Amino acid sequence: MARLKIKAEVTGSVWKIEARAGQKLEPGATIMILESMKMEIPVVAEDGGTVAELHVAEGESVNEGQVVATLAE
Amino acid sequence: MSRREKMDAEFAAREVEARAMGGPEKLARRRAAGVLNARERIERLCDPGSFVESGMFATSTSNPADRDRTPGDGKVTGFGRVDGREAAVLANDFTVMGASSGSTNGRKIAHMKRVATQRGLPMVFLGESSGARMPDHMGSRGMGTLLGNDGTQYVRLRETPWAAATLGLSYGSSTWYSVLSDFNVMRKGAVLAVSSPLLASLAIKEEVDPQEMGGWRLHAEVTGFADQVVDTDEQAIDAIKAFLSYLPSHHNEAPPVAAVPAGSGEGMRDILALLPESRTRVYDVRNVVRAVVDKDSFFELKARFGKVGVTGLARLDGRTVGVIANNPLSRGGAMDADACEKLTSCVVLCDSFNIPLLLFVDTPGFVIGTEAERRRAPGKIMNLMSALQMASVPKLSVILRKSYGQAYLNMGGGRNSDEVAAWPTAEVSFMDPAFAVKVVHGMDPGAPGFDEALAEMDRASSVWDFAQVYAAQAVIRPQQTRDYLIRMLEVHRLRLTNGVGQHLMRAWPTSF
Repeated sequence: MARLKIKAEVTGSVWKIEARAGQKLEPGATIMILESMKMEIPVVAEDGGTVAELHVAEGESVNEGQVVATLAE
Repeated sequence: MSRREKMDAEFAAREVEARAMGGPEKLARRRAAGVLNARERIERLCDPGSFVESGMFATSTSNPADRDRTPGDGKVTGFGRVDGREAAVLANDFTVMGASSGSTNGRKIAHMKRVATQRGLPMVFLGESSGARMPDHMGSRGMGTLLGNDGTQYVRLRETPWAAATLGLSYGSSTWYSVLSDFNVMRKGAVLAVSSPLLASLAIKEEVDPQEMGGWRLHAEVTGFADQVVDTDEQAIDAIKAFLSYLPSHHNEAPPVAAVPAGSGEGMRDILALLPESRTRVYDVRNVVRAVVDKDSFFELKARFGKVGVTGLARLDGRTVGVIANNPLSRGGAMDADACEKLTSCVVLCDSFNIPLLLFVDTPGFVIGTEAERRRAPGKIMNLMSALQMASVPKLSVILRKSYGQAYLNMGGGRNSDEVAAWPTAEVSFMDPAFAVKVVHGMDPGAPGFDEALAEMDRASSVWDFAQVYAAQAVIRPQQTRDYLIRMLEVHRLRLTNGVGQHLMRAWPTSF
């Protein structure tokens, strides 16, 4: 099973985590929402998949390019 | 046997040999893998019975032994009609010496491109090739004989559209034509690279994973060389047909006009609902685009590359348009280097083939910071700026929400489009009001007077001030957007030149 690393597109902080580990996501589903540049920016599972691991918690700050979740395809 | 019968017998026997490609075993292996062969691909592309082969009896001649085992010299070429319109086609036949580049097939490709260019036909490349044929290219005599005898081989002046599919292992020839084309669709499982993983491993002395080196994810997400990604050969060829349906056959004619599908514009009544009420929330601008253009006509390009920007072809009232948009869904719409490059390539494509441009604007500006500078953001921003200004096709922009800073100019503001329209939700200024309060008044959120200063900045960004100075030629209700754009396209039709623009960017590189 291919594992896909999901990276943060922006530097900011984790505002809200919407998916939980083990959850199966549809293509385009929101994994978590980051707060950056005063906007709520979603981290999206473009192809869908099962959440294998969430690497950050709410309130944590993240850098652009940081792996925030791992999905299993 | 009569003379005629003898002639027919020889002809038939030679035809069978040519059509046999690399032999039944190789063809059966492809079939078992669900992959079409070169001739099946052409059949899928061209209208039934319309394909006329060029060079059916051509073979390799470099080595006497190759004459009998290189039907078509590994590249099937000819002319066929694609949805009724004449096109020149090159289908690589990987079953014959890996469709490697040889002296005869080099002449076949050159002839196809010459005819396409001189007679105004789109050129289609169905790619899959192992690169330079060995040992033909070896040694100084091999090099001198095979390479560089056609100096214009890899020059694009965009006289006619080029559409490519990357359908298998592509090294050398197929890779070059895929990246030189105006459109490249990649089938999952295919590899597009300069050279094979084997050779790469030898050169850098480490294991090279073919998918990592040249697979669809790399080209869809990182390089942008794949305009679309599909699962099967059939879908790839259908994507080429769809792409060509938006384009003229050559640069001196306007794009074809299609019938307007029933149901077009029915999303307009509720279009405002697609825009969140809060300015801090994001949305997918592609839903706005799909609502405005003719039903199901949005043909997105490079969907996974530079996602802050959205590009594609579509039809508006049956006429081909190019779409460039900011997508707040990604990075809040803050434009980065990849997005600039992607938008620039769409502007160049549209300008080269007389396709009017629609701009949908919602951007807080360009991404700034160390990473942006390292990615050469200033150069990319200016490339987009020059391309948009040089584009001589009609350009119509609609500001949906934010338009800030230099990005205002890059997205059609300040006379960089022919008409600027704004929704009442538009806000235009140099920087986000909250940052402006900090820069102008030195105040942080929570400081006394901050809220009043912010309210004043907000008011000054409103659409009505913008309309008062005639920087927007129109403020439109969101639900009028489609009708407004159809009417403005009519107003701005290139009447003086029969719909043909100046193509100032015809020599712009296809990737940069």
